[in-house]
Amino acid sequence: MTAGVPAVMRRPAFVTAGLLSTVDHKDIGVLYVLLGLVFFVLGGLEALLIRIQLATPGAHILDPETYDQIFTMHGTTMIFLMAIPLLVGIANYMVPLMIGAEDVAFPRLNALSFWLTLFGGLLLYWSFLAGGAPDAGWFAYAPLTEPAHAIGSGIDYYIFGLAVSGAGTIIAAINFAVTILLMRCPGMSVGRMPQFVWMVLITSVLILGAYPMLTSDLVMLLVDRQLGGRFFDPSGGGNATLWQHLFWLFGHPEVYIVILPAFGMISEIVPVFSGKPLFGYAYMAASGVAIGFLSFGVYAHHMFAVGLGDAQNAFFSLTSMLIAVPTGVKVFNWLATMWRGHVRLEVPMLFALGFIATFVIGGLTGVSLAVVPIDLYVEDTQYLVGHFHYVLFGGTVMASFAGLYYWFPKVTGRLLDRQLGLAHFWLTLAGVTLAFLPLHWLGIQGMPRRVWTYPAGLGWEWSNLVSTIGAFVLAAGTIALLANLIRSLRTGESAGDDPWDGFTLEWTTSSPPPAHNFDRPPVVRGRRPLWDRKHPDRMDPA
Amino acid sequence: MTSSLEPIVVLSLLVGVIAALIFVGVIVALVLFAVRYRAGRGGSAQQIYGSQRLEIAWTAAPVIVLAVVFALSVVTLERIGRGATFGSLEPPLHVTVIGHQWWFEFRYPGGAVTANEAHIPIGVPIELELRSADVIHAFWVPELGPKKDMIPGQTNVLRLFTARPGIFGGACSEFCGVEHAWMRIQIVAESHRDFDQWLSSQAAARVAPSGPAADGEQVFLASVCVSCHAIRGTSASAAIGPDLTHVGSRATIAGGVLTNDTAAMRSWLADPQGYKPGSQMPRVSLSDAALDALVTYLEGLK
Repeated sequence: MTAGVPAVMRRPAFVTAGLLSTVDHKDIGVLYVLLGLVFFVLGGLEALLIRIQLATPGAHILDPETYDQIFTMHGTTMIFLMAIPLLVGIANYMVPLMIGAEDVAFPRLNALSFWLTLFGGLLLYWSFLAGGAPDAGWFAYAPLTEPAHAIGSGIDYYIFGLAVSGAGTIIAAINFAVTILLMRCPGMSVGRMPQFVWMVLITSVLILGAYPMLTSDLVMLLVDRQLGGRFFDPSGGGNATLWQHLFWLFGHPEVYIVILPAFGMISEIVPVFSGKPLFGYAYMAASGVAIGFLSFGVYAHHMFAVGLGDAQNAFFSLTSMLIAVPTGVKVFNWLATMWRGHVRLEVPMLFALGFIATFVIGGLTGVSLAVVPIDLYVEDTQYLVGHFHYVLFGGTVMASFAGLYYWFPKVTGRLLDRQLGLAHFWLTLAGVTLAFLPLHWLGIQGMPRRVWTYPAGLGWEWSNLVSTIGAFVLAAGTIALLANLIRSLRTGESAGDDPWDGFTLEWTTSSPPPAHNFDRPPVVRGRRPLWDRKHPDRMDPA
Repeated sequence: MTSSLEPIVVLSLLVGVIAALIFVGVIVALVLFAVRYRAGRGGSAQQIYGSQRLEIAWTAAPVIVLAVVFALSVVTLERIGRGATFGSLEPPLHVTVIGHQWWFEFRYPGGAVTANEAHIPIGVPIELELRSADVIHAFWVPELGPKKDMIPGQTNVLRLFTARPGIFGGACSEFCGVEHAWMRIQIVAESHRDFDQWLSSQAAARVAPSGPAADGEQVFLASVCVSCHAIRGTSASAAIGPDLTHVGSRATIAGGVLTNDTAAMRSWLADPQGYKPGSQMPRVSLSDAALDALVTYLEGLK
């Protein structure tokens, strides 16, 4: 055994007994990230099909049944099989290193979470071979999913796929929470944890609160579909909007589940590449906690058109606006971190800055959606699609790319190529703008979302064409990323332990780290242990 | 007020300007700091840990801005809400709208029933009673402003208004299955007099046809058409598909897929699944002559 090299990197063949049985958090982290990347490519191909079909009015490249399956699988894939595995994977690898632990609290459960997520994904995709994928959107609104309206087994695969992968995510959350609470190295009080660890802890709590809502929703739907239940069927005494309440009680925290770790990564990267500590550490942690709390109180802003009543809508409008306050605090603190710093525009930093710029657009359009009268106009239009792609692609995905470029050297011992990285960054920024900005305008012009085609002559042609071109620009960026990953893995510049002049504990160990992470258990006295070690004369206040 | 859209536009412009200012501020700071503080050679930055005053400032300022936006949104909500009169003294016109997979049914007081195309008088508040026959749909005509869901087992009320005549397109705005895309709406807003005339003609039974159209009616009544469609004045009274009593007067057919004329009607009847794949409308096999007669009959139902 070559000490220190993660099993995944060590073996040329992917399927080996070691890989199947590994319980090392680093191996599992890499597996998760690979899973996320595979589904990123699959979901991306589905997105290209969607955009090809919508490039011109009245196109028949996909028939409506196929289109509905493709857009449903695109959304479901990107949320459950791309964003979650990518973030859980990065957290799996990095959290124990950042808190100076040997591994996670429950290594075997950790492996179980990964395999459950993988099998959930396989189950979902098996539906294509089993007679048709789910076709009711990732949100799967009842009663469209009730047996009377959804014949075939697609929705059943959706239920089992999400329940199984969701179980994996719940277990991962338990593991993260216990690891962070109990396995920090000596000296690392909660108030000294890196921000990424803070955000993963909050995210874990959100997962534990939110995923069971989805699971109960799924179980009720399963009862309706397989056991003749009537939970969501008003003709049998059920309620047609019950699904939506539970779904968004899960679904809105889910939005923060996939953005808080992204915030955490940005809060690690911006300080390192500004040569300064994070501005307002305590406020950054507190704003994360505030977002976590509020995220459970905003869900009905997805349901302003349902007819809950003006007072109810006003309440959820207010809570949704409130959540913009701690989010703003984060953006302002990132900017203040750069202020009077020594800013190095390495690729991770560029992605972090790209994240801030695009996420701010998604955040501001998000506030517009919290304003009930505006929402009643733009809800369920392409404006919404534009908005949440700015948040999820401009936000979660951009931040994950930043994290990938930042930590790849730690995981592999090699740097990613800067030229390919620059190509990837600029293609991504241009692609996000071209693909998603025109959708806002289409929504304002009246184009609904989730339509498989649209009539000519309504002034929607150009914006749709530009959006499709943008999707291909994003695809080109993804090719640059994959080329970079494959090339740098073999021939990338050697990274050393601390290529970025970092602050946190993961940069104190070798790249890649040994199986037990640290040769000597670290002891810390502040928020930036590595800064303290490098600058004994200017140590952080303890 | 010119329409129920107007208060939304005013509020949107205001929120849009505020958002644009914040965005520009953030981008300017971002680019400025990235350029101005770009690391040169040597040295290191002064270690600044934070500022409580700044934290308070950038927490409080957004709270104030959002409080203003929230107050304005509540005022706007009141102006387009359930009891809104839009400044009109006229009593509201009540219309029941029922969502079906994949078309809209409009039921007027006085017995007029139409599909996908509805007329409204200008200057009168329109009160739509929204229902669904199957899954969740949503009623939305952008030029009239807000949308609302149509939910089985629930009746929603949506108040709309326009002072301006015109033809306004709209569509179902909640994903409702295969042909969600072709569930379009056409609203004709016209003067009170034109509207009254239209309403009374739509409320009337069909005019008994003569010539080839009479043969067409026989084809209709003898075929499977009657198990779904109604034509008032005949024995056909099923309420599964659109009411066809005045189908010839509508501008489009099949939920907006085709412009309504003789050729389009013939193509549609000959191959519904080709034009609207997944639709509930089956292909009915008829001889060419029978089909011609049927098309003549339907197009004559003005």
